[in-house]
This record gives sequence, structure tokens and C-alpha cells, in this order.
Amino acid sequence: MDRWLLLSATLLAVIGAVSGMVAVHRGHRSRWTTAWMLLVLICQLGFLGIRGSQREACPLGDRGEILVFLSWSLTLFYLLVGPAYRISLLGVFTAPVVVVFQTIALLPGVLALRPEKIVGGNPLHETHAATSVLAYGALALAAVAGIMFLVLDRQLKEQHLKSGLFRNLPPVRELLVSLERLLWLGGGLLTVGILAGFLMPHDSAALGHLLAAVSVWIGYAVLLGVKTVRGLTGRKLSLLTVILFVLSLGVFAFV
Amino acid sequence: MELLCLGLNHKTAPVEVRERFAVGSAKLGEAAGELLCLAGVTEVVVISTCNRTEFYLAATTARETLALLEVHLAEKTDLHGIASPHFYRMEKAAAARHLCRVVSGLDSMMLGETEIFGQVKQSYHAALQTGATSGVLNRLFQRAFGIGKKVRTETSIQEGSTSVGNVAVDLAEKIFGHLKDSEVMILGAGEMSRITAQSLVSRGARSIFVSNRSFDRAVELANDMGGSAVRFDDWQRVLQRVDIVISSTGSPHAIVRREDVEKARRARKFRPLFFIDIAVPRDIDPTVGEIEEVYLYDIDTLEQLADEARARRQKQIEQCERIIDAELAKLQLPGT
Repeated sequence: MDRWLLLSATLLAVIGAVSGMVAVHRGHRSRWTTAWMLLVLICQLGFLGIRGSQREACPLGDRGEILVFLSWSLTLFYLLVGPAYRISLLGVFTAPVVVVFQTIALLPGVLALRPEKIVGGNPLHETHAATSVLAYGALALAAVAGIMFLVLDRQLKEQHLKSGLFRNLPPVRELLVSLERLLWLGGGLLTVGILAGFLMPHDSAALGHLLAAVSVWIGYAVLLGVKTVRGLTGRKLSLLTVILFVLSLGVFAFV
Repeated sequence: MELLCLGLNHKTAPVEVRERFAVGSAKLGEAAGELLCLAGVTEVVVISTCNRTEFYLAATTARETLALLEVHLAEKTDLHGIASPHFYRMEKAAAARHLCRVVSGLDSMMLGETEIFGQVKQSYHAALQTGATSGVLNRLFQRAFGIGKKVRTETSIQEGSTSVGNVAVDLAEKIFGHLKDSEVMILGAGEMSRITAQSLVSRGARSIFVSNRSFDRAVELANDMGGSAVRFDDWQRVLQRVDIVISSTGSPHAIVRREDVEKARRARKFRPLFFIDIAVPRDIDPTVGEIEEVYLYDIDTLEQLADEARARRQKQIEQCERIIDAELAKLQLPGT
């Protein structure tokens, strides 16, 4: 059942992405993206609910679950940010990322077929895992906003202003404001996650994971610090957000 | 009962003839009521804008009423024989089709413009309130408004800006979103800058700074626009706070050099900056556009974008007319 829900969520995200892209290509607003993404979120919640009851803990027991949790977090933040800032196009860019993450989770061997019960669960461990993955959702969405900015910036610079995509992309300033807010939100959640990670009992095997997480945190802290104190061009901020996010995925190699 | 239309517009009559037939918006209803006294006329709507004056009538016989109306107008304007060659005359279905084209913006000087829709609506309401309309014209105008809306929603006839000023304003909105948080600086107090800046203000731009070699002229324009005047040797300082710069000085060489903008970047915290250069020769060194957060558009690019929008609208005419014909064929309006 859990896999069927995950498969449904992935197919719905594919529909959301394709229908959104077709609408944008035709120069229309992608009105239905939010609705498709809401259905994706419901299926993801169903999947995580089943896995959570099987594990009797937060469903972050294997890489597959982490990827689905990450996709759920990404979808959730899109639904919170996209319609509020009237950035429905953010969904068109978010849906493919969700499809990629969930497709990887569906690959044989990534998701445990019979999830084992997590015994002796520690609240700090669960806080660490949940807030960290939530942080990654916000940071992933910031990277998506960064890609949207880079596309728009290039079109404005090269004066290619006729495409449907150009007409539908939100204004430069709104994209940069959303990106920065998502970075602060992601950074804040990541801080909580890392603090919980330090406080929870861990053995020496977790050192690599901890070092990688701290490096990611330092990366985002420097980025936000420089942006706030000195200022950064939209292009540099976007590029660094995308690069940092891709690099930060390396943390999961240590899970 | 037959429908007819007599009119003149920017294509058929020069302004000195058009102005003689112009009717103020407050007098549209009265003008329609006045024409009800013509023999055989039962309903009238008078449309008058800066580019056209048109009379839509329902009468027992269209042809005779057209002749009567022409004589009446010639007498009223004292333009015997002069106005006649400038008139277009339409009867029945052709008149209905013409109204639909007008409402859809297909007959406007600026193809696809939206203002005409409101102007025709206002004219119709004036006639309706005077009691100058009934079954034929009520149905015709209500249907024409429906068709006009359909044309605008189902085609791209009103998409894209067709004037340099509007293209610049659209680009500013693409960069900054709502302009209420944006500040504008004008370099050179020329007419084109004023028009573009006014468009930005009308869309909410927060404040305007005007800098000109003649400070008195800068003060004058700043007062006109509710902005502040800046001495010409001080514009670099203001560059640190503004978001949009419109330049149209008469200078033979570049006024804004790359180093001027580079100096302001740090203080601006690298926020986006939009330069609109509408001067010839150009006021802004093209290398300014190479700075990461700067978007630079010169007059040629803006003109080209406006031309492309006009061409795109032109391509839509056929589709618009197909919609009008199909809708009119379905309706079987009385008087046509």
C-alpha cells in the first residue's frame, strides 16, 4: 500500500509538471499546479503515515524514506510559499525535483520492503532527523527559486522576452525575496536539527555525518551573513544557493 | 426596423474635421436624444472619443435615414459638403459587425487597446439613461460587449505593450513587481522621460528624482510630477538609492559610465537596477549592461519590442474577425 501511495504521488507530480510546462509553453498561467501538488502532498502524507506506524517512529529509517520526507517537505513549503506569493510557476519547477527524489526512492533496494520497528527511539534523534529534513525541503525550494531567477535573469539580460516562460515567471525582486526567506527558514530549521544532533547520544561512526552537516550549516551561515551584511547580486545568491544545496545532499551519504 | 451606422474616425478624417463632430462625454445622452426627432428613427447611440464619432441608429429604412442624418449633422456643424467624404456608412449586419470590431479594439489607432471598450459602454449607458435605446440597440450593444470580451480573452489582441513607454513600464514590473517600493531617477528633463516617468508613477512608483543640466527645468519637472529635483553633479549620489533610471539628455556623449555604477554598487548592496536609455546618442555606456545586477534597455530595443507586440497583434486580426463573424451568425440580431 505504501509503495502504491508513493507511486501515485510520483505520477501526480509528473502530471503537475507536464501540465504546468504545457501551460507555460502556451503562455498561460499554470493554474492547476497547486491542485496537483496538493494531491501529491496527500499521497506523501499517506505514505509517511503508513511507514511511521510500521516503524513506530518518525519514518526516516532508510534513504528512501529520507527522500520521500524531503519531497514532502519540499511540496509543503511550495504550497505555503507559492500561492501566498502568487508564484504558481514555482510548482512547475518544484514538481520535477519531487519526481526525481521519489523515483530514486522507488528504485529497488532504496526503500526497505519491511521497515523494522525503531526500538529505543530518542526524542532528540527524531527532532534532529525531522527538522533537518524539513530544513532540506526549504533549502531545496530556495534552490528551485534560484534556478527560476537564473532563467529570468538570462532572459532579461539577453532581451529574449517573447517566451511563455518569461511571461509567467514572477518578478526578479519577488523571486529574490522568496529565495532569501526560504534560506532563513531552512537555515533556522537546520540549526535546530544540528543542535539536536549534537545533544543526542551518538557514537564515533556519526562523526562524518556530523562534520558534513556542520560544513553545510557553515556554508549557509556564510551565505546569509554575506548577503545581509555586504549584499550579493541576485545571480551570485542564486548560483550559490543551488550549488550549496547540491553539495549539501552529500550529507545523506553518511546516513 | 433596420440598423445603421454613420461615423468618421482617425483613418477617414483629419483632426480638424473630427473635432467638429466631437461630443463631450457629459452630452452623449443628450446628443442621442436629439437625433430621435429625425423621421423614422426609433433608437440612437452616439459614440465619441478622440479618434472617432459614430452614430448608431435603428430606423424604419436605413438608407433614407443615413441621408437624413448626414444632412442634419452637416447643418449642425456647418460643414456642408466638407464632411461627407470623411463619413463611412454602414447598414444592417455591416453596422453590427463594425460595432463589434470597434468594441474589440480592431478599429482603434492602437490596435487592441482596451480603453475603447469602456468608452463605448459609457456612450451606451448615456443613451440608455436618456431613453434613446430599446429592443434593437439594447440587444446589439449588449451582444457586442460580450463578443468584445470573448475576442480579448480568446486571442492575444491586447497582449504586449505597443508603445516605448509602456514596454519600459512592463519591464520595470517584471524586474520589481509592484512599483510601490521603487524609486525612479530621471536624467534630462525631456518630454519622453516625462511620459515614461509618468507611466511609472501611474503604476505606483514611490518617488521621482529629476536631474537636469538646467536646475530650474529639473525643479519645474519635479514639481509637475510631485518629485524632487537633484543637481546634475549630484545624480551619482542618488543612484545609490533608486531602482530605475530613465535617461534622455541631449548630451553628445555617455553620461552614465560603468565606473559611476560600479561606485554605487556596494552602497546599493547589489540590488537590481534598471536603466532605460531613450536618448540618441545614447546616454548610458553599453558596458553598464554587463554589470551583473543591471538591466539596460536602449531606445532601439524598446522600439523593437513595441514593434514586435504590434506585429503580434496584427497577426491576431484574422482570428478576431472569425470570432466576430461566428458570434454574429449565431445571434441573428434584430435590424440586421
